[in-house]
Amino acid sequence: MNWIVFILIPAALIAFVTGQLFLKHAMESSAEKGFRDARVISFLIYGVLSMSVNFFLTLGLLAHLDLSFVYPFQGLSVIIISLAAAIVLRERLNLRLTLGALLISVGIVIVSLS
Amino acid sequence: MRDRRSGVANPWFILGLEVICVLVYELLQKRGASETVSLSQTWSWIGVTALTSPMVWLAMLLMIVSLLSWLYVLRYIPLSIAFPLSRVVDVLIPLSCWLILGENISPRRWLGIALVIIGLMLTAKPVARLEEKL
Repeated sequence: MNWIVFILIPAALIAFVTGQLFLKHAMESSAEKGFRDARVISFLIYGVLSMSVNFFLTLGLLAHLDLSFVYPFQGLSVIIISLAAAIVLRERLNLRLTLGALLISVGIVIVSLS
Repeated sequence: MRDRRSGVANPWFILGLEVICVLVYELLQKRGASETVSLSQTWSWIGVTALTSPMVWLAMLLMIVSLLSWLYVLRYIPLSIAFPLSRVVDVLIPLSCWLILGENISPRRWLGIALVIIGLMLTAKPVARLEEKL
């Protein structure tokens, strides 16, 4: 396995998480400002761009590696997104939600490994 | 959550719709792609042969529906609740592969499925309270 995999996998994960954060932020602001607002539009574009980066990085990874190796890393996105939403978007995160997200992440990793 | 939406416009209902769309399009993609491999071994690797399958086109339609419903969900539900809940597909996909496609599920995979379900239950509990307050 190439060393570049250890750069591309985190990169794909980061692109996915940032994409979701951008889309969430755009949709939330759209509730107040509507869809013609310049900030809403630009956040939507950033979100779609990040998701596209994730899409191509994932395709590239899948071209060289097994799905059973690539997919577990996507399982980690659950806990990372919950923490990022709490930090970046100031969403309220309690112990129960954190534990829930952690169990889902671990569960997905186990499902895709076996 | 901002304004309360009821009936079909209820964000929790749309989240369910998103999950079902993802589940169905994954299964359709799998069926459509593997049925068309015989057309050309070489071209099948980049998904071109799969385009001859109507199931794959239906999958694309469902992908668009799932993306739009996900954006709608994001407008109303916190990401730290909506995203973990949306991963219920990671349980539904192996379960439907088991039920519909007759694939095997190993004991370790059952353990993973159980963990995801417990995690989903923990995440869904505050939702019930969130709804009561509204």
